Amino acid sequence: MDAMIQLIHVSKFYDRRAAVSDVTFEIEKGEFVLLMGPSGAGKSTLLRMLIGAEQPDEGQIFVQGRNVTKLKQSEVPYLRRKVGSVFQDFRLLPKKSVFENVALPLIVQGSSTVDIRRKVTEALRAVGVEHKKDQSPNSLSAGEQQRVCIARAIVNGPIVLLADEPTGNLDPERTGEIIELFKLINARGTTVIVATHDPHVMTQVNRRVMTLMQGVMVPEQRVGV
Amino acid sequence: MRRLFYLLREAWANMRTNRTTTIVAILTTAFTLACVGIFLLVYVNLRSAAGWLQEDIKIMVYLEDRITREGTQELEGKLKADRMVAGALFISKEQALGEFRAQFPSDSHLLEGLGENPLPASFVVTLAPNFRSPDAVKRWAERVRTMAGVAKVDYNQEWIDALAGLIRYIELVAIGVGGILSAAAVTIIGNTIRLALFARREEIEILRLIGATRAFIRIPYFLEGAVLGACGSALSLGILKFGFELFRQQIRSAGRFSGIENMLSFFPLSICLALVVVGMMLGFAGSFVSLRRFGEGRT
Repeated sequence: MDAMIQLIHVSKFYDRRAAVSDVTFEIEKGEFVLLMGPSGAGKSTLLRMLIGAEQPDEGQIFVQGRNVTKLKQSEVPYLRRKVGSVFQDFRLLPKKSVFENVALPLIVQGSSTVDIRRKVTEALRAVGVEHKKDQSPNSLSAGEQQRVCIARAIVNGPIVLLADEPTGNLDPERTGEIIELFKLINARGTTVIVATHDPHVMTQVNRRVMTLMQGVMVPEQRVGV
Repeated sequence: MRRLFYLLREAWANMRTNRTTTIVAILTTAFTLACVGIFLLVYVNLRSAAGWLQEDIKIMVYLEDRITREGTQELEGKLKADRMVAGALFISKEQALGEFRAQFPSDSHLLEGLGENPLPASFVVTLAPNFRSPDAVKRWAERVRTMAGVAKVDYNQEWIDALAGLIRYIELVAIGVGGILSAAAVTIIGNTIRLALFARREEIEILRLIGATRAFIRIPYFLEGAVLGACGSALSLGILKFGFELFRQQIRSAGRFSGIENMLSFFPLSICLALVVVGMMLGFAGSFVSLRRFGEGRT
């Protein structure tokens, strides 16, 4: 099997306190993984290390065979174009329309206007908010904003999708919808990692679960297939 | 193309969002650069005046009273044969007296009491353009002073030297003041950019996370700084031009310095454009400093 993500004895310390301690795991191409753990367990730190926003103090991280810890500063943006990110607080730009928000990753990488229009429309359609494309994100509900955030993360066809507490601000019904969306994206071949502290998500996902407790990885359990 | 459009739009949006700060920054930069411009303008005009005086330099070679007609002709021959001399005009004692009377009619009685004409004969020498530098003039005058029949060699070099000294002094002051005020302009624009960066820090963070390169994030702020600098500089030129014309009008209406106002000149277009470019570069530098301090580019 191809390892899409590989962590080898990764540790990260803040003020000598280990946020992530000696973590080793592999995630294969096309996998859907839930990263569980209470707040402060080190889930966000781990995800941030995967996109080069934090550097581990020890260990190596590989994404699609490339050692992220050895990337030059100038190479980090190109890694992030392959790894889409979804956030709990959506992080949408309120002064730009839904369309413009989703188009941003494509503009950043220099896509043509025709490509941008086509891909943004496809992404918005995939998450079910195409009809809201001209609205401001502030006029949308939390669930819709999270859909827009997901559309932005998948618009340039990333190989990996990272979601940090994506359902933290959503009610159970919207949570279910968002999880279904992630499953759909995963079914199209994208490796998906969802970090959450919400045990209800685990029951909805029914896939591989990795648990972090105080920065330490606990033995894995695989729920269903 | 879309990317370029985006970057330009972002720079414009930055300025529109922080409209008041932008206007204040442009005005402050304009007044700061106008102060530098005053020194530059004085410097440019004094330099041009010094150049003009140097071009027009006339050397008076006064002759001894006891020189004979042959001696005068011989001296005239020597002067005219000199490769440094472009022209030598002989003024006899009588011509000198006539000129004095013509120039100072009310004081002509002063000479009458002396009986004999006290004014010496002279040659008014103009040097060739290549030999009009202060050093060349000085060397030539020293050489001619030793010639037979020459009583004195006089020229307004001292005055020109004093003017050159003043120009050097103003040059130093202009460099000093220019340096300090340029740093002030950089700081003013830098702070404006810093405010914009602070206001848009979340957007910058989002751009980083979706894979924007450092250049992509920085360009709108560089553009903003450059536009602020260029606008400030252009406005400062406007202020200077207005002040300059006002000053010239004052001189003209005073009447006492008639002719001087025509010698005064504003910066030529090429210098104006260069100053706008300098303003642009100062703005660029302000953005650069702020982006570095803000830590943009960190992951």
